[in-house]
Amino acid sequence: MLEVKGLNKSFGGLHAIRDVDFSLPEGEIRGLIGPNGSGKSTFFNLLSGVYPVDSGTVEVNGKDLTNAEPHEVAGAGIARTFQLLRMFTEMTVLENVMIGYHNHVQYGPLAGVFGFGRVGREEKIIRREMMEVLAFIGLEDFADIPASELSIGQRRLLALGRAMAMKPRLLLLDEPAAGLSPVNVDHIMAIIVRMKEKFGLTVVIVEHILKVVMETCDRVSVLDHGVKIAEGLPQEVRDDEAVVEAYLGREMDDEEVKRAIHA
Amino acid sequence: MKKTLTCLVVAGLLASGSSWAGEIRIGATMRMISENGQKYGQMMQDEFDAINARGGINGNTVELILLNDECKSDKGVANANKFAYQDNVHLIIGSTCSSVSLPIVDVTAQAEVPQIIPHSTNDQITKKDSAWVFRVPISARYYKGVVAKYLHDKVGDQVAYVYASDAAAMSETQGIIQQMRDVYGVEPVYEAQTQEKEIDFRSHLLKIKDLEPDAIYFGGLQEPIARFLVQSYEVGIPASVVRAASSAASNAPVPKLAGDAVQGVFFSAAYSDSDTRPIAQLFNSYVRNRYGIGGVDHDFSQAYDLIRIVEIALGNADLSLEDDDLAADRTAIRDAIANVQGYEGLASGPISFCADSTPQCRDGNRTPVLIQYIEGGEDFKVGILDRVTMPIEFGL
Amino acid sequence: MQNFISGIAGFFTRLKSIHPLLPWGIALVVLLPLPQFTVNNYQVYLINFICIMIILATGLNIVKGFAGQVTVGHVALYAIGAYTSAVLSTKFGMPFYVNLPVSILAAMIAGVLVGIPSFRLEGAYLALATLAFAQAVEVYIRVTNYLGAASGIGGIKAPEFFGYSLRKYDDYFYLVMPIMLAAVYASFAILRSATGRAFMAVREDPISAASMGINVRRYKLIAFVMSAFYAGLAGSLYAHMLPGYVHPNNFTVIEMVTVLLMVVLGGIGNIWGGVIGAIIVTIVADITREYYFYQLLLFGAVIVGTVLFMPKGIGGIIDRYFVNRRFIAAREETAEVKRGIVGGSPDESSG
Repeated sequence: MLEVKGLNKSFGGLHAIRDVDFSLPEGEIRGLIGPNGSGKSTFFNLLSGVYPVDSGTVEVNGKDLTNAEPHEVAGAGIARTFQLLRMFTEMTVLENVMIGYHNHVQYGPLAGVFGFGRVGREEKIIRREMMEVLAFIGLEDFADIPASELSIGQRRLLALGRAMAMKPRLLLLDEPAAGLSPVNVDHIMAIIVRMKEKFGLTVVIVEHILKVVMETCDRVSVLDHGVKIAEGLPQEVRDDEAVVEAYLGREMDDEEVKRAIHA
Repeated sequence: MKKTLTCLVVAGLLASGSSWAGEIRIGATMRMISENGQKYGQMMQDEFDAINARGGINGNTVELILLNDECKSDKGVANANKFAYQDNVHLIIGSTCSSVSLPIVDVTAQAEVPQIIPHSTNDQITKKDSAWVFRVPISARYYKGVVAKYLHDKVGDQVAYVYASDAAAMSETQGIIQQMRDVYGVEPVYEAQTQEKEIDFRSHLLKIKDLEPDAIYFGGLQEPIARFLVQSYEVGIPASVVRAASSAASNAPVPKLAGDAVQGVFFSAAYSDSDTRPIAQLFNSYVRNRYGIGGVDHDFSQAYDLIRIVEIALGNADLSLEDDDLAADRTAIRDAIANVQGYEGLASGPISFCADSTPQCRDGNRTPVLIQYIEGGEDFKVGILDRVTMPIEFGL
Repeated sequence: MQNFISGIAGFFTRLKSIHPLLPWGIALVVLLPLPQFTVNNYQVYLINFICIMIILATGLNIVKGFAGQVTVGHVALYAIGAYTSAVLSTKFGMPFYVNLPVSILAAMIAGVLVGIPSFRLEGAYLALATLAFAQAVEVYIRVTNYLGAASGIGGIKAPEFFGYSLRKYDDYFYLVMPIMLAAVYASFAILRSATGRAFMAVREDPISAASMGINVRRYKLIAFVMSAFYAGLAGSLYAHMLPGYVHPNNFTVIEMVTVLLMVVLGGIGNIWGGVIGAIIVTIVADITREYYFYQLLLFGAVIVGTVLFMPKGIGGIIDRYFVNRRFIAAREETAEVKRGIVGGSPDESSG
């Protein structure tokens, strides 16, 4: 599904991503973890075309997407969410989701003037379909209020809804549960898993909360200082010395580390 | 409370019911953004107030509606439309700028309201074949002719020209170049147009200095003229080279800003501050005392002459001033202005109009004077260099 | 008041459900006899001018209000439309029905030029770049003899159809008003479709919009070219209206500020707001004609005041009636249920 080879990215003197290879089979949920500043978000931004890469290749289903524009990446069936949400706060919840559907709209940019009948019919269908998306994430009753009025938890859900409306095949989730209470973390993770199963998605989740990653993901990759230091099943990674060191430093007692990670 | 309200309503009705018989309504649209612009407007208001205080014209009072057009044609056109259709004025005065007077000619022609122009000099204004337009100031076609004639006869044919991008300066300067070419067969030794708002002319002046011309001519508004003159000495062009400028040089800020650099500069105008005729002396002191203006320029004198001509014409017109007779009254005022012959006021020569809708009939004043600065600074002095009445067909 | 507004809105929705063009047809029929109800010709002139300003403001609203691109170059596009018509009419003797589309085309080509800096620049920097363009156009006209330089171009022929000239303001109204309605309708039709949503997404967050599949550059350019279409249309209509005269003084930064005021006052990104703003500003400018000393001061103060205290303008206030009502209803019905499952109020966010 996703093949990344020898990816490099520097910002001035900072080597943010260093020779990262990343291979993802179809249908997997992959966790991507690492301490603050390890390059997880940069990695996402390189995949989704927000930053140009220095060297290396990105391929999705055999299609080269290295240095593609963000909208081209989206067009290739890759949806992403942002850690900082990036909602369209002045637009309604429904409109936010409809933006996700943009690439599937059939009529042209100026069709509204002359093809009003056709546009009207299609808009009605889009609206119905998008209401179903909202129903799936449980925001159907908030369809017509501005996104700025939503709570943080609802915004995290809406971010999923927007991605879902894109009908993607690969979903890149950047800290989808950041800032949520434990109950809500479970809720949103359940929705992600349901989404994955319903639409047959492949998912990459960047997450700080290790527990979430360990429970939800099929496999886990670990970044530290821009280098991939480990990859494997959750329990393998959890016991990997390099990972433990990267997260907590060398000096700490082994038992303590394990308790911290398992918490 | 109720009483106050009733009073307000009645007062409002009185104020809004501006059109009743016995009142001659005049609309004036002018550029009133500068200090002097406001003073022209003030003088116009004061003069009509004075006429009303004397008992009006044939017992009718004059109501002046004064609007600013900021020298923008859309504003001027809106003002003229408002005067013609909403205020139902009998006469429109305006405007200051040629670029505003020009389009208003079409509005007044269609609405059939007489229009009399206080300041605009552009040739085209009277060439639109409108029977409703009259011009008190001297047309640019006469101004150009008199400067070209003087340069050729008294100074020399080697002339360098620099001009700014405003309408009046361009048409005046290019007209002189055209006159020199057509009448005397002389090409300019240097010709350049400056950018809008350009204030440093030294690159032009340095080139001109090397050409050693007999004269340099600058066309522009008052401030650029002053700058140009000062900079011409800064680059070392000797005083022996005659300096001439467009008619805006008559404005008082020029000698004040330019100081000594203004000495010897001549320009064509419709009026001179140094005019020795008693009427001119009287007018100068009147304007100085009343409006605090040091050098009284031709914009003031033309506004004054315009008011006198309007007064004469309105006195001769047979007006009913009933709302139903508006069209007839407008025609009567137009015909009365067309009948003004040989008016002698502040203008350097007599002003006459006639009935045809031709430039010959509607450019009333054809006697420009050439004026020279004798001294610059706050208490500047000017003298009359020459006074020429141009042939009526000149420049057509 | 609230019931009144929603009553009207409900009525229009019902009309629209019969046929999408029905409300516009009714508006046309209602507005057609307007000149018969005016007291004098000057009011017809003002109405015509308002129609032109509505077209101009609607165009600016597309690029500034919807797509969020801070442009000051709009007035230059308006000038290009007006001058193209002026030159075609006076130098080549072309009729109105040729001049109008050519002027629009010229403005749209210029619109591409104004739009290109928006690929890299944002906010105040984009404003500066477009201001430079506007100044360049104004100065170029001012010094180019072919374009009448500082004397302007006069004698632009009034539109003529089947030998009948629309010289009078009354007649011109029947040309300019239907065009205005069609222009406002078109902006509605486009902005209520996916295109309008894409514009708003670009305005709100270009990165987010791009990652959701919107070609940001393409939509910025579409917005600029669409707004140029409106500016060219307005410019051509202005040039052909009596007295058929254009002058660089009519296309300065002050005119730009006036159009901006219409959009800001009416409500940025609100089509009806822009229309209302154009009407109010033109009428207020007319009423205050005699207080010209204070006019610009007043306009500036209104812009600042609107931005500070009424950021969504008049249109925003009207909108709020609907949004608030829907919002309150939605909250009351579902908030209780949701709170149990998905974290409650916004202040719970810990970051």
